[in-house]
Amino acid sequence: MTVLQEPVQAAIWQALNHYAYRDAVFLAERLYAEVHSEEALFLLATCYYRSGKAYKAYRLLKGHSCTTPQCKYLLAKCCVDLSKLAEGEQILSGGVFNKQKSHDDIVTEFGDSACFTLSLLGHVYCKTDRLAKGSECYQKSLSLNPFLWSPFESLCEIGEKPDPDQTFKLTSIQNFSNCLPNSCTTLVSNHSLSHRQPETVLTETPQDTIELNRLNLESSNSKYSLNTDSSYIDSAVISPDTVPLGTGTSILSKQVQNKPKTGRSLLGGPAALSPLTPSFGILPLETPSPGDGSYLQNYTNTPSVIDVPSTGAPTKKSVARIGQTGTKSVFSQSGNSREVTPILVAQTQSSGPQTSTTPQVLSPTITSPPNALPRRSSRLFTSDSSTTKENSKKLKMKFPPKIPNRKTKSKTNKGGITQPNINDSLEITKLDSSIISEGKISTFTPQIQAFNLQKAAAGLMSLLREMGKGYLALCSYNCKEAINILSHLPSHHYNTGWVLCQIGRAYFELSEYMQAERIFSEVRRIENYRVEGMEIYSTTLWHLQKDVALSVLSKDLTDMDKNSPEAWCAAGNCFSLQREHDIAIKFFQRAIQVDPNYAYAYTLLGHEFVLTEELDKALACFRNAIRVNPRHYNAWYGLGMIYYKQEKFSLAEMHFQKALDINPQSSVLLCHIGVVQHALKKSEKALDTLNKAIVIDPKNPLCKFHRASVLFANEKYKSALQELEELKQIVPKESLVYFLIGKVYKKLGQTHLALMNFSWAMDLDPKGANNQIKEAIDKRYLPDDEEPITQEEQIMGTDESQESSMTDADDTQLHAAESDEF
Amino acid sequence: MESIKEMNIFKMTTPNKTPPGADPKQLERTGTVREIGSQAVWSLSSCKPEPGIGFRTLHLPGFGVDQLRDDNLETYWQSDGSQPHLVNIQFRRKTTVKTLCIYADYKSDESYTPSKISVRVGNNFHNLQEIRQLELVEPSGWIHVPLTDNHKKPTRTFMIQIAVLANHQNGRDTHMRQIKIYTPVEESSIGKFPRCTTIDFMMYRSIR
Repeated sequence: MTVLQEPVQAAIWQALNHYAYRDAVFLAERLYAEVHSEEALFLLATCYYRSGKAYKAYRLLKGHSCTTPQCKYLLAKCCVDLSKLAEGEQILSGGVFNKQKSHDDIVTEFGDSACFTLSLLGHVYCKTDRLAKGSECYQKSLSLNPFLWSPFESLCEIGEKPDPDQTFKLTSIQNFSNCLPNSCTTLVSNHSLSHRQPETVLTETPQDTIELNRLNLESSNSKYSLNTDSSYIDSAVISPDTVPLGTGTSILSKQVQNKPKTGRSLLGGPAALSPLTPSFGILPLETPSPGDGSYLQNYTNTPSVIDVPSTGAPTKKSVARIGQTGTKSVFSQSGNSREVTPILVAQTQSSGPQTSTTPQVLSPTITSPPNALPRRSSRLFTSDSSTTKENSKKLKMKFPPKIPNRKTKSKTNKGGITQPNINDSLEITKLDSSIISEGKISTFTPQIQAFNLQKAAAGLMSLLREMGKGYLALCSYNCKEAINILSHLPSHHYNTGWVLCQIGRAYFELSEYMQAERIFSEVRRIENYRVEGMEIYSTTLWHLQKDVALSVLSKDLTDMDKNSPEAWCAAGNCFSLQREHDIAIKFFQRAIQVDPNYAYAYTLLGHEFVLTEELDKALACFRNAIRVNPRHYNAWYGLGMIYYKQEKFSLAEMHFQKALDINPQSSVLLCHIGVVQHALKKSEKALDTLNKAIVIDPKNPLCKFHRASVLFANEKYKSALQELEELKQIVPKESLVYFLIGKVYKKLGQTHLALMNFSWAMDLDPKGANNQIKEAIDKRYLPDDEEPITQEEQIMGTDESQESSMTDADDTQLHAAESDEF
Repeated sequence: MESIKEMNIFKMTTPNKTPPGADPKQLERTGTVREIGSQAVWSLSSCKPEPGIGFRTLHLPGFGVDQLRDDNLETYWQSDGSQPHLVNIQFRRKTTVKTLCIYADYKSDESYTPSKISVRVGNNFHNLQEIRQLELVEPSGWIHVPLTDNHKKPTRTFMIQIAVLANHQNGRDTHMRQIKIYTPVEESSIGKFPRCTTIDFMMYRSIR
């Protein structure tokens, strides 16, 4: 049975890695029925989970005791996916009733995957409103693995201010090489880990290849490493469906083609070669053309050069090739990331031979750890020879491929540096030359390799730092700073959907909708499959009232992904702009339905309910949005708006203030607060607030308008006029401005000027949407004309009351302000 | 005999036919009004039953509230009883109503076309007061009925009743194709000003 299990597992992994989930699930079910081991259970659950059926995985794992960390992690992940947060927490940290595990406990228990575990736990804590704990978890997770971005993002989103400089840095190369295995989830092929990690090394040392087969079931700790190790041997022998044997070159070329291709896509083109950019994973020497002769040459040439001194290279090569074919399936077992399948294939290949085909060669390195000096060199070696491995992991983390660089590098440095290296660590070179294979040349220059590795990591880290700073600034609503930082990213990173979306959002928050639209349309151009951030784009278009563009966007998004809240938000915005509020409400509700944790959909729904004057429902929506995300200032604003409508001005001010605490740079918010303060008869304060708003955004016409109207209400007609004259320069076509100017002139007794401005206001109102203006003109003008001044008080008084009842009740505030004087 | 009578009526009424009003959809697009019929409970004094009541599976259209509110000018409500034919529109709360739009088409409905309509408002069935009465002459299109008071202020009411007091050619039952009710839209911005007209200004009006 045990013999059979390995190829089956390999087949399952291979199916998984080829997205053949049905096959994988079927096979895994068979395997589990056959052996009923926890390992098979985990494999089956993984198949379920990857095929998108988290509930199946959940119930399956739930029905059995899970002891291994992998199972626990997967079960917890399923719990979180199914929003069984308490259960997930219990699995990860021991729950609320038992003694909670400390982070260190988790680290020891979960080992390499602790960073993911902690990140997941942090997510649970944040969802259950224990932000302090959540932030702790995220921070710990980041310190374990600085290559993780999402914990950082989450930290920013919950309002923490993690220092990107502290977060994204490597303390040493050891840290780097440590976090690489960390970065891959637990089951990543451990044969490379085994070199580094003493405990696995220990278990592995006594094995030779045949023993592996038998051992793998018994060994509980390093089960996975064993499986992977042994399985590729098995599959190399057994599975006929792997890459055909004996066609070394064809395999090679295949690999070669694979590598650069992925490299290209990850790199974003030759722009990466620019020397100024903090490039990583690529050296300037790399030829950009993928899979062509030059690569192949590199591959085939370099070994031949080195082969000369090495003994028995050809035979080794063929052996290695068997290993390759095996590793193909190994890899499929080990590789967890779906997206980089070919790369992994290519790279595990080279590390395959060490462990599988030449155990006698391997043993020296493995046994070396006890003594210090060899340890160091072996360390170097392993970090090197497993660069291939690390590469594969790096690739998973969007690292451009390492191998070509190394090759070119080693080629160029052959004369100078290789020699000393050989002298330095004879062991290594011996080992290398003996097991030389196509991918192994790199081992000749371990120092350089290590150096390159470090440099690559440092490059990535510096990029992450910059992005982190930008994102942090955006999350603290220092939008200008965020734009500044993100705009200084190297152009090949700048011109990606994520970065542009953040910049677009920053412009959006600054109310610079034109800019935001420009940026977002660029995003649409370069990544038309992007859904994240498109809700902001749709709201931008809503503000700009670009109904055609908005309808194109919403159609495209809903056609593309009906399960994304962003698409439905865009559709809702589209109908909202058409004033078909009922349909808009339906779409926003759908957005909530597809993702109940999506705060913005609640907010938009709330706004829609405000428009249909269902204020109670609107309140509920905004509160829901705040429940989902307390830092969602738009919802706080929405609440304030409702209270303002209900003329509960102090409540309105409070809620606006809450929103302002989150986003202190918003001139629109400040403007609203100013108006509310004015309504609360705190005119001085209102003027202060409005001044502050104008300082923040001198281009905001509404701030100036409201300042003018406050001045007007306070009978400072001259300054009000001055303000309005300035405003005329900014928005020369806004009828409201002329309307207010007319009112000021009327107060100043300059009837003809007043009339002139009123009629301009009328002319600028193309749709005649404001018959209030017309009414206001008639009503305002007529009594003024004839009434003697002595009578004005009484008559104006009655007139005002009449008038305000006649106009659409919109005008009341100004009227009130007017009648205040009498 | 009938044709002569028709001719007479035709002669008599041609000079002052009720002119059709604008499509209310255009009104909606301006953003100054909003349809609120969907928030109300609608009832009718009578309606013609669905055809083929025994063959419901055929799903033939009826002649009731659904047809009155389905945004389709081809379908209609047909009364089936004695005059006056009533349409009752009850709101859950006191609601501001500005305009009532009725679609009638004399060309299709002929003697079913209402000629005299009364619009009443009130808190409930028992205290309805007539605020408008209008005479229609061979209407073909939308008829806008403003529900404002003497001061052009929109009415606030719990209930609206539309009563068809008479039809053309003394027809007994009546057809109504669509009824829409509009409430004025308050500016969603802060500060009680009239609506702003430029996008430059509007952009800063609110946060979304």
